[in-house]
Amino acid sequence: MRVDVGSWTLRTKLERLIAAAALVMVVVWPTFGGSYWTHQILIETFLFGVAAASLIFLSAYGGMVSLGQTALFGIAGVIIGNLATKGGPGGTSKGLHLGWDPTVALVLAIVLTTAIGLIFGAVASRSAGIYFLMITLTYSVIVNLTLGSVTKISGFSGIGGINRYTPGWIGDIQAHPTRLYYVALIVALAVYVLIRYIVRTPFGLTLQGVRDEPVRMASLGYNVPLHRTLAFGFAAFLASLSGILYVWWSGQIAPGNVDLGQTVDLLVIAVIGGLVRIEGAWVGAFVFVVMQNYITSNTHIPGLGFGGTLFGGSFNTIIGIIFLAIVLVSPDGLLGLWERILDTGRRLHLRGAPPSQPELPEPVN
Amino acid sequence: MRRLKLRSWKTAGVLVVISAAAVAVLSTGALASSHAKAVRVAIMTDCKGAFAFGYDVDIGGANTAFAQFAHGVTKSHSKPSAGMTGIKVGSTPIQVVGYGCGNDTVPTAVTETKRLMEKLNADVMIGPLSGDEAVYVANYAKAHPTKTFIIGTAGSQDPTMQIAPKNLFRYHGDGAQWNAGIGEIAYKKLGWRKAAIMMDDYSFGWTSAAGMIADFCAVGGDIVKRVFPPLNTTDYAPFVRQLPPPNQVDGYFWVVGGTGTGAALKAYEQAYGKLDPKQNIGNLFFGFLGADKVVAPKVVGSYVGGFGNMPGVHNPKVDAYRAYAKKLYPAQNVDDGFFYNYYMAAKALVLGLQKSGGALGAKLQAALPRSIQGPFQISNGGNVKLDARRQAIQDQYQLQLVKNPDGSVSPQVIAYVPGVDQSFGGLFKPTSPPPGRTQPPCKKVTTPWQGKIKVVANGKVTNQILK
Amino acid sequence: MSALSARIPTRDELGLYLSWRKLPVLLAAAVVVFAFAYVLFISTLPASFGAGNWRTTTFGSAVHDPSSFLKITLDSLTFAAALFIVSSGFALIFGLMRTVNMAHGSFYLLAGYIAYEVQQGMTGQGFSLQSSEVNTWDWLVPLAVAAPCIAVIGLVTQQAFLRWNQGQELRQALITIAVSVIVADQIIGHFPRNTSEGQKFGGNAVDLTWPGWTDRFVNLHIGGVQYSLARLVMLGIGLAVGIGLWLWLYRTRTGMVIRAGVDDQKMTSALGINIQKTFAIAFVVGSALAALGAVVWASQSNISSGQDGVWLLNSLVVVIVGGMGSIFGAAAGAILFAFVSNFGAVYLPTTGSDCCTQYSSVLTFVLIALVLAFRPRGLFGKDA
Repeated sequence: MRVDVGSWTLRTKLERLIAAAALVMVVVWPTFGGSYWTHQILIETFLFGVAAASLIFLSAYGGMVSLGQTALFGIAGVIIGNLATKGGPGGTSKGLHLGWDPTVALVLAIVLTTAIGLIFGAVASRSAGIYFLMITLTYSVIVNLTLGSVTKISGFSGIGGINRYTPGWIGDIQAHPTRLYYVALIVALAVYVLIRYIVRTPFGLTLQGVRDEPVRMASLGYNVPLHRTLAFGFAAFLASLSGILYVWWSGQIAPGNVDLGQTVDLLVIAVIGGLVRIEGAWVGAFVFVVMQNYITSNTHIPGLGFGGTLFGGSFNTIIGIIFLAIVLVSPDGLLGLWERILDTGRRLHLRGAPPSQPELPEPVN
Repeated sequence: MRRLKLRSWKTAGVLVVISAAAVAVLSTGALASSHAKAVRVAIMTDCKGAFAFGYDVDIGGANTAFAQFAHGVTKSHSKPSAGMTGIKVGSTPIQVVGYGCGNDTVPTAVTETKRLMEKLNADVMIGPLSGDEAVYVANYAKAHPTKTFIIGTAGSQDPTMQIAPKNLFRYHGDGAQWNAGIGEIAYKKLGWRKAAIMMDDYSFGWTSAAGMIADFCAVGGDIVKRVFPPLNTTDYAPFVRQLPPPNQVDGYFWVVGGTGTGAALKAYEQAYGKLDPKQNIGNLFFGFLGADKVVAPKVVGSYVGGFGNMPGVHNPKVDAYRAYAKKLYPAQNVDDGFFYNYYMAAKALVLGLQKSGGALGAKLQAALPRSIQGPFQISNGGNVKLDARRQAIQDQYQLQLVKNPDGSVSPQVIAYVPGVDQSFGGLFKPTSPPPGRTQPPCKKVTTPWQGKIKVVANGKVTNQILK
Repeated sequence: MSALSARIPTRDELGLYLSWRKLPVLLAAAVVVFAFAYVLFISTLPASFGAGNWRTTTFGSAVHDPSSFLKITLDSLTFAAALFIVSSGFALIFGLMRTVNMAHGSFYLLAGYIAYEVQQGMTGQGFSLQSSEVNTWDWLVPLAVAAPCIAVIGLVTQQAFLRWNQGQELRQALITIAVSVIVADQIIGHFPRNTSEGQKFGGNAVDLTWPGWTDRFVNLHIGGVQYSLARLVMLGIGLAVGIGLWLWLYRTRTGMVIRAGVDDQKMTSALGINIQKTFAIAFVVGSALAALGAVVWASQSNISSGQDGVWLLNSLVVVIVGGMGSIFGAAAGAILFAFVSNFGAVYLPTTGSDCCTQYSSVLTFVLIALVLAFRPRGLFGKDA
């Protein structure tokens, strides 16, 4: 028993050490790292990680796999794009361009997206499993079609130049792009801490109860649909943060950001990382973003030999194969794989270890 | 416990070292900056989506200019994307650092632009291919004034009209300009007075339609109904039903592109019967980009909006261009607008670098030619001129679909429209909204080329004015 | 009790029915009734081209212009037939195996391209065929080649990836997503082949052609309406598929086993029936139906990359709205989907150039979401 606990702590210790090292690295990265990695790969990792975290939160702690996070991501981006940008010469040429104060626009975008998320959640709360997946997919389609057909707020080309209108307390991110890096990093960390905190609150514990035994929870008097709705609203809040970071990073929001391909991409990120652990969001996002940026149709990856393509396919074939492999081999994603490797290692280690001396119980402090 | 602790620390330490090493290796790749005096050029095009076939066509066009004016040597005569060597302007080498692979949507344009301009550190971009990508690139250019952008073949109006950053250039017409003159042809040669128009519900559809509407209304025609099927419409039948029946209008303008052209025309035939070439005019999607095989056979004889190119027209300048380009890339259609527009963009870059002596940034932007010889240009001494917003004023050629002796159908130039500018004689302004569902309104104005369109017959531009 | 008092509801009963809890249902019913009345009576023609208010539509009301109404109805029915053919395959697989086959769209796309290659190979043109160049054989043979190809691919997918994780719905959905991504990408790399040089590969748009005899109008003898025979043929094929499926499911032993498996998989297998063989058969038939749908629709419209997503979505929506696991539900869902999108495109008000017919697709999906909100299992879904 002693050794068991020790090994468990070993894995946690390992993970915490790696996480600490990674954290130190990303904090100091902009000073010595390449600008492409700072401003493309890592920021994308942070913001798509937040969106994936909202998905994983719902699936791991709520038992609901939602394909609607991309929709909420897009809604937040569109709201802030319409509210914050200005029209006229030198402004953006699409959208409502109301030109409001960016901080007000930011708050409104978050609040409105969370409200819409609560509505979406209320409508979907009575479904579960695969039916829930379908309804949330319908949300993505609705948002995609709405953005595409309502030209007053977006239209097919979407809204551009949004990153010229950031709040004063962040400053001009076009002149100082590293500011966005740190904002994204802080948001990602805050989201992670917030999720870890929420799942320990009474609400979070009830939610996990609802995930495991909805019928029993209902008979105990808990309002199951309400809990699901609130969880969805919280996930919408997280997705809105991701959407806002995205439009500040790329400056652009269009229906193409919420179409079927992008929806599936977010699911792929979450599954690659692992649908059961929040850390998987950023692991999956990192792997996906790196692959997407390094495996294009015409890059030559030494070792792969065929220019990064596979039988005439492109990046999508490769990511599809990796995704398939992960789902077949380790449905809990890379983190699940990591856990299994460590557990196997522990079991092998235990089998091979010489019989240990009987351990004296440690005095309790 | 102590043994375990030691081992766990060792393992952890090894992992940290390995990850740090991996990061260091990867970041040196990222850190490797371009300190050579070579000019780093990225060519942005599409390799997926609706314009996937444009990849080698665009690169081929650009390569042809590099070969003709900058001593470039192509690595493969059949596959332009294999690359080139030895591109040099004076003593400054040009290094093509990468090809962008868009899919006609904005999110991919974002990733590809950042990859080309930030990861590969390109100084100049030639591209992109499609209208919505160009709107994004224009906004990006505005935020990065030290880099230079020369549009490849995108047809949206905004980049050089409403956004118009100082470091963005376009040496070909936009989607509206390509259709200049077709409205007048409909009015004068087909006698249309009332017409309906069906257009894709996105920026290129609106821009291309804007050219038809502006031109037709300018001479006195009336657009009575506008229908906008969304992109990726599955069933065109309900949208075709929204069109007035053939006995209520004189004709239909079709601005449905790419994957929808054939489907929309089929839906029309099933609703109203066989297509009458005299009652249907299309934009370039009737005759180019593969439509000559899929769509054109249905509408032999109809007039087709142009693409700034002049297939079938011969004069010494054009034939010399064709001969040169064909020798370099025999499999490519060198008359294709995609090919030609990228050729002109690359040519402009070479001339600009010659004048700036290899300097980049603002110096290059000042040195890029404001007037450039174009094989497909006849007026203005054969020079394509840039207006104050760095947009080309370009001759246009309107076409008709004809059946060739071998049974295939191809577009042939029947009208020459000199000196088409982006504003259509003041109708489109930087302060006016960009083309949209209701823009432009149907107004009678005087365009600079009204009444000056010349007939083209037997591959020669005559002096006969179109009546 | 007299007959009179039995018919009139008591105050209590009325109060219960009109209580606030029933309000959403009543509202929905009111909206539906209004929509029917609008299409049938209320709408009017615009006074002149371009003008409009909330009452004007493209053709006015059904009472005013019955022939247009009939044409739109037929458009909807024929489109519903195409939707039904593709969705019935999806419904069969989902109903029996609870497998959401997200690769259904990719199979559809592959079938379309294979059929195109065969038709081009037979007629030897290399570009779009006029209907006069295509006879019935030139249409049937591509179908006869494409359907078995896709059936085999479906079978292989099911045996390799889905057989051993039966019951893990999410995992199966993810696996089929991965397969769809790979297949769709490979299609872009290898199709179309039999076309002009510049158009090869890249998943460019190509089309099939109906046989020449369908290229005419049929006089329906109602209001002088002439309707396209090709679309009626499509309706006929849809009906044939529906009847064929019904006969198979309700009049053959295999069908009986499938229905039993839909109702209670464990019990069926406990009775000694080889449920794995039944699964395989269902997957084969479902994939073949996707292929048939592809050939039909590619002849009606075209086939191009990107349509895999569109038709997967169509199938999902039809099956979810109609009720999963039921062929009748798939038919109902197809009809609802087709009617709403077609009627929306023509009978939404045209208040000006910018409104409102372009919102027909948004309207369709909002209605879908509302149906799901009220009946999460679909209109005719079984509460499993």
